[in-house]
Amino acid sequence: MTDASEHAIYRAAIQGDRDAFEMVIRAMSRNLFAIAYGILQNREEAEDVVQDTFVKAWKSRWRVRDSAKLPAWLGTIARHRARDLARKRRPEPLPENFESNEMVAFEGAAGQKADLDGEVRSALAQLPELHRAAVTLRYFEDLDYGTIEQTLGLTNGALRGILGRSLGLMRKRLKPALAAIG
Amino acid sequence: MATIHEQLDELLAADLHDELTAAERDEFHAHLVECAECRQAFQEGKTMNRILNETLADKKADPAFEQRIVSRFRDRVPKRAGLIGLITDLMRVRAVQLTAAAAVLLALAQMGKMLTGEAMTPKARYEETVSSHLEARLQEKDQDKPGAFRDGGTFEKTDDGRTKTAEVAALKAPPPVPPMDVVTSTVPRPQTEALRAAGLTKTKKTAGKDETAPASTAETNAETPAEPSASPSSVGPTANRKLVRNATAELEVVSFDESVQKITAFAAEEKGYVSTTSSEKQENGKLRGEIVVKVLPDNLDRFLGKLRGIGELKNQALTTEDVTKAYFDTESRLKNARLMEQRLIEILKTKSKDVADLLEVEKELGRVREEIETMQGELKFMDSQVAFATVTITLAEKNMNVPAAFLLKERAQLSLYATEVEKTYNDIKALASPKVQITNAQIDRDNTGRVSARLSLLLAPEESDAVINKVKGMARVENFQVTTDRVSQGGDGLGENAKTERDKVELNITLSHDEQEIALQSTSLRIQTPEVNDKTKQLRAIAEQQGGRIRSSSFSRDPNGREYSTVSLRVPMKNYNALMQSLNGLGKVENVSVRRDDRPNSQIDEANAPADVSIQVYSEGNIVSEETGIWATLRRTIGQGAGALMWSVRMIGVAIAFLAPWALIIGAVGWVARRVSRARAARKQTREEEGGQS
Repeated sequence: MTDASEHAIYRAAIQGDRDAFEMVIRAMSRNLFAIAYGILQNREEAEDVVQDTFVKAWKSRWRVRDSAKLPAWLGTIARHRARDLARKRRPEPLPENFESNEMVAFEGAAGQKADLDGEVRSALAQLPELHRAAVTLRYFEDLDYGTIEQTLGLTNGALRGILGRSLGLMRKRLKPALAAIG
Repeated sequence: MATIHEQLDELLAADLHDELTAAERDEFHAHLVECAECRQAFQEGKTMNRILNETLADKKADPAFEQRIVSRFRDRVPKRAGLIGLITDLMRVRAVQLTAAAAVLLALAQMGKMLTGEAMTPKARYEETVSSHLEARLQEKDQDKPGAFRDGGTFEKTDDGRTKTAEVAALKAPPPVPPMDVVTSTVPRPQTEALRAAGLTKTKKTAGKDETAPASTAETNAETPAEPSASPSSVGPTANRKLVRNATAELEVVSFDESVQKITAFAAEEKGYVSTTSSEKQENGKLRGEIVVKVLPDNLDRFLGKLRGIGELKNQALTTEDVTKAYFDTESRLKNARLMEQRLIEILKTKSKDVADLLEVEKELGRVREEIETMQGELKFMDSQVAFATVTITLAEKNMNVPAAFLLKERAQLSLYATEVEKTYNDIKALASPKVQITNAQIDRDNTGRVSARLSLLLAPEESDAVINKVKGMARVENFQVTTDRVSQGGDGLGENAKTERDKVELNITLSHDEQEIALQSTSLRIQTPEVNDKTKQLRAIAEQQGGRIRSSSFSRDPNGREYSTVSLRVPMKNYNALMQSLNGLGKVENVSVRRDDRPNSQIDEANAPADVSIQVYSEGNIVSEETGIWATLRRTIGQGAGALMWSVRMIGVAIAFLAPWALIIGAVGWVARRVSRARAARKQTREEEGGQS
């Protein structure tokens, strides 16, 4: 998809063309899911957030004045919704017990994998929201930095710092596990 | 290379994500070769990158994810119906919102204007603003020469407005006119400037004032003398017009003849004349009439003013008819007709060959001449109409409503009782003479043989009293009534001098048989005598002797041997006392009761009025009744005893009928109650027995 045709679609979507908006949904839903998952760490909730984001965006699409910023705008909505949801469920206990149960249930290589999974998850949980979103966007969708910056509404070059810091922190935290595997 | 070392995390991540430029990567990898610490970190990073790729791979959205999101979006945001959707979508666009708000505001303002009634003014105001704009623009344009612009301004106001509107129109036609265009399009301005410069006097008045006085005063001064100048010019056209003036007036005057003289004098004063008079005498001698006066039109108003002095003006109307067009039309037609006549005469003179042609021409000439005469007559008539105004005056003398005379109309109603109705009827009919007219006579006889008659007579006034008295003598008068109406003639007021005359008297007579008359006095009495039959015969004889008539009689005998004979008779009042006296000779008179019906306001002759007497003649009968004695007593006692017994039997029957249903009900209820209690007792017993067994 070239830039020009993309922009045309964005403009049509903002002006109320449903087909265009559905094309935007198809193009953007995975990215938004990645952002939401990064923040919430829960697939169902993330999917709900994506859903809500598009409905809300459709209803207030006339607020977008620069059609080029539509992805960033959608990203912002998704991030805000996900954060609201995360705050709301904070009193809920962390699912670490559940993980440990699983660990008990499965052993061997599978158990090791599950263990690693939990470690990665908790390492990710340490990061700030934006960083988490950036990481999930990168690893879920394998997007290049430019697209990620566009989606998160970041200025040129900021992502490199964010991802570098994120991975650095995670590396330090996962050091023991990495050593074991290595 | 310290920078690379410090930026390790960033570079490492970017390298793993393949986001480093070639130069950066070379540099970074060179550093890795040198720095063991970084090499270690790079190894760890690589591992982690792999782990992250592995672990997060199963967390990402499943392949059906997009489709799910889209379909759920479709569910949650259904498509709106065409027009509404379009409108709501449109309303989201800012420009449309602004336009809509402006439209609403404009509509509100317009509505407000309409409500406050300002709607009439906007156009005028618009012109004002336009002209003020114009002035302002002129000012801008002519700022370098202030005198010129002022002249321009005053010119605009003092000129009769046509130039102003012309300018305004010029301004209106192309709405956004730049100032330059305005100045060039106002043609009159340069013209006046030119005029003023040349000293021409076409608009001398205004130009002259502009130089001497300030604009505002010049304006007011210029307008005031302009107004009266219009009035003399408006008189001009009416002078050549043919106007027919007519007036009508209605006056109430004291004397008709005097007024006619006065009016004639007034007409002479105003160089006019009385053309017709007519008058009519009313029933009461008052005069009413009409006078037509012709006066010179110019004196008409003065004449009418004088008329008011004659009497009370009831109403007045003044009309003016413009016959100018008809007059001149006729005149020009007349001119043509004359030319035609001339030509025809010439034809007669020159081309007199064919006799038939000559005849034709002669005929045509006759027709034209006739036409000419008609038109001349018309013109003359119109001239006379125009030359003299016609005033039609209706005069009426005062007190038109006072009556001239009164007529007394008498109507008499006479009710008579006659012994022989038919005879009396014929007697009255025989009275007929020229002065006594019988207008209606009728006699009725019903099934019971009763006869009655009705007559209507019309009597000459001088004969009336005599005739009425004669009729009264023929039979008994029951009632006589006279009603007199005074009818005024020629008005309904109170005429002091009016004469009163008697009119014919209308007499209505009803004749009835005297049996139907109610007696003036009725008497009832009893006479006790042993020989009832004989005495009754004597009584009849006495009655006949006294001029009485037996109306009914009866005879009866009761079980005790008593005899009754009742006789009702009627005698004239004059014989009543004699009858009563002679009755004493028959036996012992007892139980006399007399009732008299006095009719207070009637003038009947009492001597002949009927008196009814009802006499019962009776005997003593047996001393001991057949109903006394031992056997009779005994029989009666037994009978009464049996009666009492039967009565008591009846009473007992009544009592039984009264009580039996209640006794039955109470008995039935008692029986049921006993059955129930017995059944209960039995059940209790069996239970106790069962209890004992267990």
